[in-house]
Amino acid sequence: MLRSVYLKSVRDRLLGVGVGVVALFLTAWMGLWAYSGVDGADTYFASLPDAYVDLLGITRESGTAGLMMSMMFGFMGAFVLGGLGISMGAAAIAGEEHEGTMNVLATIPRSRARLHASKAAAYLTLLIGGSAAASASYWLAAQLVGSDISTLNLAAATVHLTTVMLVYGIMAFAIGAATGNRARASGIATGLLIISFLGAGLLPMIDGWEDAGKIFPWYYIDGASPLVNGVDWAQIGVLTAVWVVLLVAGGLALSRRDLLAGAASRSLADRLRDNPKYAAYVDKVRGSGSTKSLAAKALSDKQGVALLAAYGLFVLAIFMAPMFNALADNIGTVVDSMPDAVLAMVGFADYSTPTGWYHGEMLSITGPAVFAIVTVGAGVALATEEKRRTIGVILGAPVSRGSVAGAKLTALVELTALCGILLFGGIWLGSTFFGLGMDVSNIAAAATQLAALGLLFGAAAFATAGLSGRSSTAAWVGTGVAVGGWAINTFVGVNPDLEWFAKLSPFHWALGNYPLDNGINWTGLAVLLAASAVLAILGWLGYQRRDLRG
Amino acid sequence: MTESPAIEVDHLTKKYGNFTAVDDLSLTIERGEIFGFLGPNGAGKSTTIRSILDLIRPTLGSCRVLGLDSRTDAVEIRRHLGFLPADLALYPNLTGRRTIEYLANLRGGVDMTRVDELAERFDADLDRKVGEYSSGNRQKVGLILAFMHRPQVVILDEPITGLDPLVQLAFHTLMKEHVAEGNTVFLSSHTLSEVERVADRVAFIRRGKLIAVERMSELQEKSLRRVTLEFPQPVAASAFDGVEGVHDATSEGTQVTARYEGAMAPLLAVATANGVLSLTTASVDLDELFLEYYRESPAGNEAA
Repeated sequence: MLRSVYLKSVRDRLLGVGVGVVALFLTAWMGLWAYSGVDGADTYFASLPDAYVDLLGITRESGTAGLMMSMMFGFMGAFVLGGLGISMGAAAIAGEEHEGTMNVLATIPRSRARLHASKAAAYLTLLIGGSAAASASYWLAAQLVGSDISTLNLAAATVHLTTVMLVYGIMAFAIGAATGNRARASGIATGLLIISFLGAGLLPMIDGWEDAGKIFPWYYIDGASPLVNGVDWAQIGVLTAVWVVLLVAGGLALSRRDLLAGAASRSLADRLRDNPKYAAYVDKVRGSGSTKSLAAKALSDKQGVALLAAYGLFVLAIFMAPMFNALADNIGTVVDSMPDAVLAMVGFADYSTPTGWYHGEMLSITGPAVFAIVTVGAGVALATEEKRRTIGVILGAPVSRGSVAGAKLTALVELTALCGILLFGGIWLGSTFFGLGMDVSNIAAAATQLAALGLLFGAAAFATAGLSGRSSTAAWVGTGVAVGGWAINTFVGVNPDLEWFAKLSPFHWALGNYPLDNGINWTGLAVLLAASAVLAILGWLGYQRRDLRG
Repeated sequence: MTESPAIEVDHLTKKYGNFTAVDDLSLTIERGEIFGFLGPNGAGKSTTIRSILDLIRPTLGSCRVLGLDSRTDAVEIRRHLGFLPADLALYPNLTGRRTIEYLANLRGGVDMTRVDELAERFDADLDRKVGEYSSGNRQKVGLILAFMHRPQVVILDEPITGLDPLVQLAFHTLMKEHVAEGNTVFLSSHTLSEVERVADRVAFIRRGKLIAVERMSELQEKSLRRVTLEFPQPVAASAFDGVEGVHDATSEGTQVTARYEGAMAPLLAVATANGVLSLTTASVDLDELFLEYYRESPAGNEAA
């Protein structure tokens, strides 16, 4: 192993992993603190029907702390570690090629196999270390709040979560090593992660498909309930074998292929475009790289991601309707008798009604996440011109900084609207064709409020980009507003004494009134749009007043 | 407005925290000249240029292009300006032609036959994606972007990076033609040879301060010659102190080496008086002169 490569690779990513762990700790701490203030929750848990408990992934015996811990391991922690793992894995080898630094690294008199081994060792150190640190921080959070977690096996849950995340992360690592294409590596692994999450969660709810989730690695995070039952070594053994094989295969492929220099690798879309049969379709989805104007280019730069995301949202929104019909009989009407505090704890998702089902499954997490992917990316784009140093060429032409920022802002609004329209269309089609009978104006209200929420994420990223010119900071801030806002609303919102605090979250203003049941909340919409406007103006003015980077 | 200089930099200072990148720099570049801007890496050349372009804002002082203020009239200035940034970055997913179309659309009124003409002169392949270009090919696109609209003022930051000698020649010819039409070129570089062949005047900048502005022709005249004298006996270097046109005399054994400018007679008079045996001369080229500007000199010598 190459010690200096190992140490540098670890050092480069330590901050990112550290930020992830701290974010998880704060979420766990906040959630445990808010939950511990709700009286009598344990009793209600005991009275929930089995189907409902399964659906929410709760372990009945371990009470509120157990619910919070299964959220941390099965959802928050899994996505944070999965995201970190995939981005680090994809960049480990392919990132050096993308940046052109492989040219320097490859001139050292050491074999590619040793380089690969050193990168892999650094990767394992970071992901396993990060996962262990996150779990330790949950324990610390429980001690700080005084929650009793003595019946929960955090170590076993950590082993399961880490092993599953290694499958996704090493997949990105191996594809990157085998192809040198960082974007493809992270794209494939992320796609698989999301499909796994949805598949493992949704498929088993359908009658006769109870075991279908087991084909997805995600299932094994809590499939054996390690928090309660300890480690299932058979599962861990199989998953470990999978990631080890991936790792070795990637290393072998790396030793046999040409190394790339810079971002010269051709994407799948490029190759499809080479064939005249597909060229027109590829251009339609990806954007032909319009060069008509600043605004047209700003829009077409982000068109590919936005169309894929919005189309995914559209299909999922339709698909949720037959899912509900398949499930409705199992869930029953227990929720009517559930007190608000407990209802809040399970995400306010009254899964016995179509509106509750859509609220819980589409509007609470998946929808905002898709919006965030699109809008944060569009907001960051202003700083990307500086990061890539293309702003020098743009501002060699007679255009003002204000119009450059204005074009990016216009694209942000257009892409947000696109996602909102497709979300509306998807829910409406699902509801109409599968006879759920949801009110069309309420669907429109929900899509509008969610779009305003997404706009706010993008505006936060845009403001940061305009004021600082740092694209990574802008991405962190935009994502932070989304994730932090979600966490505050989800965990703090459950405690009636802390409701004022939940109002700090934009999610409260977007979803707090259950738009699918109650229609538009003009106040909430106004708050979100006003906040977005203030942020947009801040970014627009800031961009015109500072030194540009690059 | 036609009377105002092409570029005026007026007591420009740019500080980053405690670090002063450009320190009270003043320059005037007249219309119709090729102005070389020379200095070592990190001297403040790009900082000066980025201030003129309004990409960054001066801490003190101001810049004007064609009499227009770089802050308040930035957009109007760019209408008449061509710019090639240092270490040029373009959009890797666009072809060279699409890149040029984009910037031409933003600018408006660009004659695309001019683009084709320039592409031909530089032998530029515009049909591949910029991400697949070598640095030289990328630079050709940058040069086309800077010249395609026949701007009154062209600012080029390290333009010949990656260009082969043939393209460099085409580029120099283009610059001369452009200036012959009454336009101005501001050419920043860290190598004298790039500037020597084309510039009318040169400025030297070091550590953010302007060291000198010289007319190229005068600089060439100033270039010194070196003489080595052989004597039958050791002669002290001080024998040449104060002799007209003689600099930096040193002695080693029976040999004296000195540099001189202008007529040789005073030097020869002293040499003959000491019974000089033989004499060899060599010219000190501009490079050496240039290196002198680069090297550290006592603070007193740094005059703006």
